[in-house]
Amino acid sequence: MNFNNRDTHSRVSGLTLDEALNLAKTNGEQVVPTLCAMCGPTSLSCGVYAFVKNDRFIKVAGMQESSNNKGAVCPKGNAAPQWVYSPDRLKYPMKRVGKKGEGKFKRISWDEAVGIIADTLKRQKEKYGPESLAILAPAMRSYNAYLKRFLTVHGSPNYGHSGICALQRAFSFMYTLADWPIAEIDKSDLVIYWGRQPVFSGPALDGPKALLRLKERGGKIIAIKPSVEPDVCKADIWVPIRPGTDAALALAMLYVVINEELIDKEFVENWCFGYEQLKKHIQKYPPQWAEKITGVSANQICEVARLYSSTQRASIDLGNGVEHAPSANDAIRAVAILIAITGHLDRPGGNVFRSTDSIMPMPRDITLRERYTPEMRDKLVGPEFPKEFQPFIEGFSSAYYRIFDSILTEDPYPVRTVIAPGTQPVVSTRGSRRIIEALQKLDFYVVIDVTRTADMDYADIVIPTTTPYESDHPFEATGGRVMVRNKVIEPLGDYKSIYQFFLDLGVKMGYGKDFWNGSIEKAMDDQLQPFGMNFADLKNNPTGIIYDSLTRAYENYEKMFQRKSPRLSGAPFLPHGKIEIYNTSFEEAGFNPLPEWREPPESLTGTPDLSEKYPLILSDYHTSKNYTASWERNVPYLREIEPYPVIHIHPDTAAEREIKENDWVIVESLHGWMKVKAKLYPGIRPDTVMILHGWWQGCKEMGLEDFPLLDGGANVNMMYSVDPKKAFDPIITAMTSQTLVEVRKFS
Amino acid sequence: MSEKCSILFIQKKCIQCHGCEVACKSWRNVEIGVNWRRVNISWHGGYPDIKMVPVMVACLHCAKPACVAACPTGAIEKRAADGVVLVNQEKCIGCKVCLEACPYSVPQFGADGKMQKCDRCFQETDGRCSVPPCVATCPTKALQLVSQDKNVYLSFTYCDQSLEK
Repeated sequence: MNFNNRDTHSRVSGLTLDEALNLAKTNGEQVVPTLCAMCGPTSLSCGVYAFVKNDRFIKVAGMQESSNNKGAVCPKGNAAPQWVYSPDRLKYPMKRVGKKGEGKFKRISWDEAVGIIADTLKRQKEKYGPESLAILAPAMRSYNAYLKRFLTVHGSPNYGHSGICALQRAFSFMYTLADWPIAEIDKSDLVIYWGRQPVFSGPALDGPKALLRLKERGGKIIAIKPSVEPDVCKADIWVPIRPGTDAALALAMLYVVINEELIDKEFVENWCFGYEQLKKHIQKYPPQWAEKITGVSANQICEVARLYSSTQRASIDLGNGVEHAPSANDAIRAVAILIAITGHLDRPGGNVFRSTDSIMPMPRDITLRERYTPEMRDKLVGPEFPKEFQPFIEGFSSAYYRIFDSILTEDPYPVRTVIAPGTQPVVSTRGSRRIIEALQKLDFYVVIDVTRTADMDYADIVIPTTTPYESDHPFEATGGRVMVRNKVIEPLGDYKSIYQFFLDLGVKMGYGKDFWNGSIEKAMDDQLQPFGMNFADLKNNPTGIIYDSLTRAYENYEKMFQRKSPRLSGAPFLPHGKIEIYNTSFEEAGFNPLPEWREPPESLTGTPDLSEKYPLILSDYHTSKNYTASWERNVPYLREIEPYPVIHIHPDTAAEREIKENDWVIVESLHGWMKVKAKLYPGIRPDTVMILHGWWQGCKEMGLEDFPLLDGGANVNMMYSVDPKKAFDPIITAMTSQTLVEVRKFS
Repeated sequence: MSEKCSILFIQKKCIQCHGCEVACKSWRNVEIGVNWRRVNISWHGGYPDIKMVPVMVACLHCAKPACVAACPTGAIEKRAADGVVLVNQEKCIGCKVCLEACPYSVPQFGADGKMQKCDRCFQETDGRCSVPPCVATCPTKALQLVSQDKNVYLSFTYCDQSLEK
């Protein structure tokens, strides 16, 4: 134990391996260096030391050697043991014996479960074709590559990506600028956090530290979002925008910089295509126009536009908040154009191209993209991006929601089997009511998870899996670090890892050759090839291997603008070798070549009649300080921090309705109603109310029961429109997450 | 073990992640419903010129603890060696007078009805920590363990932004 140096001003967070070992020895414990799993297993997972006493996982400390979290651990990471030992854990494979939704299951063996799934898939493949299988993509998880590999070997393109996260930004940026450039915060004098949550999305990673470093250097921060979150406390300017109106704000900012000529003329001349067309087009969108839609004053719009364009080292960190509106593609590309024409692209302190930041090799891609065919593309059941733009960077994808919609509409055909690995359709995507109808009708539904899920009662087969703490694979490589997930404890039930599940299923299907004949070690060895070592070698490095970082070059336009897209044709992102301000690829596919404004299906300005009955805007938070998406409400140490679903409502708005703090209230929209608690929140637009998404699960240890999945519960996803004509962005899916509501006291 | 230390909270570094709260509970096995450390927020100003400021609530191990003075059974002591304010579980009768006396509402009461709170993790028995886990887990070093000997003023100051150097 190191008690000698008590003055720890300079001390970094967490423990070193030696400190952890010594501490464990003192306390009669064992310590296992591993990676956290509370945000789901991802390559970005934080390094931790897991402490074990009498074969029980009891606590964690941060791993100082870990390059991404540098010893820090967030509340979720600290609460991991309660998640592992939760009474909500699934212990053995199950087969449904009651009606769908009834929740009656029978225990079966792992082999029997895998066998039933394999038999069903074989039968359906023969009868309906391989595309009748869809596998839903969870958030970015380490096992996603295995799902894609399985689909490709089977012959289905239906990888069900959310349509509301990350790929939407990637798409609009890449088809405008050839890259999704990142804010180089450490060299910026001004950073605009736009629809972005830099604290809760990875509190132990570098995001919040970068924000504080910027602040300490005297840099300016602008936060654009409807309510005050921790980043707004650090901001110099808060732009309290109405949810879903980012495109209007971005268009008005373009209006200001174009009409006041606050642009980098040389860059525009050399590297942009279609500036003159935009100049004419943008006259429709003055700040006074945007003020009415966004609720942000014209003065503030001008102030932010001028400040950004006149600060040489300025960057925009555009977050997930902009990916939830039918105008999302135009919001994102308007921001991309703003970055470019003001001279902030790939320059120090601006938005720089993503490049390899270390000399570490990349693991071998195992998704078998080389087997993609045009026939597979044509079979996409509900393309997340139009077929002309498939596959995109994650491969072929159908939009998660559209997969379920196909089951009901049978257009173009009904999917017959849905596998949900670590994802919960009823609370993860919009239109919960339609999702439940589709689950009722679906032929075969497989749920794979570590704890019970919101829609498990509709499953035909339930496959429990290890938490990553109960497994000695995979390895994770990112940010210059490669490390194995070391096993902390033996599995607590009759199950294997999700990786092993897909290997076993592959073998049972007769795809053994493509699934390393079921051997995890061989699968790992295969992916580690570029590293010049095998899985056993890597395991000899308990805290992983850190690679040197690379210094970056700037203004890499010539090369980047020739970059090939992942489409089967390999055509470049930018057909003119220049930034597509006027987007001819979109135009050829039948979409608007220039960014434009599109109202959400329900809004104060778009549907004024409706606002008489429903005068408030509702939207939801995508990330929280203590939960990962719709998981972890069952973890007592996390649940204590936020025990009830709360609606953030401005005190004046609440007072008009005689609503007091902690009152139960009804929130009602055209599409459903929730019963939640009121939290009087002075830092939110008075015309807007917001709630965290993903509420359904109870917490047994605290005596808190599950909430209903539909009316009367707290599942915000049922509150929004899923009108196919109005609720989706025409190019990038981006389902709406704003509507109009009234809030009243529950009595 | 006798060196005097304090856990310093630097408000402007706190990002309100609540990592310290849960690290404390997990390492010290604190029961559900009891918090030795809490991150609360307070609002300053009004919409739209408004800030949300984190407030740390945990035992400060005060120089002159009001709880020690108020306790009718002498169950709370300020240990001379290291300045830690400790509760003697044998002597505590759970009367909650300390809760009324404490200006920060720190004292907590669990299932056994006795007062419990932060003991700065300098316990010398089973389940030791190195630096207190709340400090070790903090991503932004908003919580720091500082020596009182080096800067006496600093060590007894809570939440003072001017001290961050």
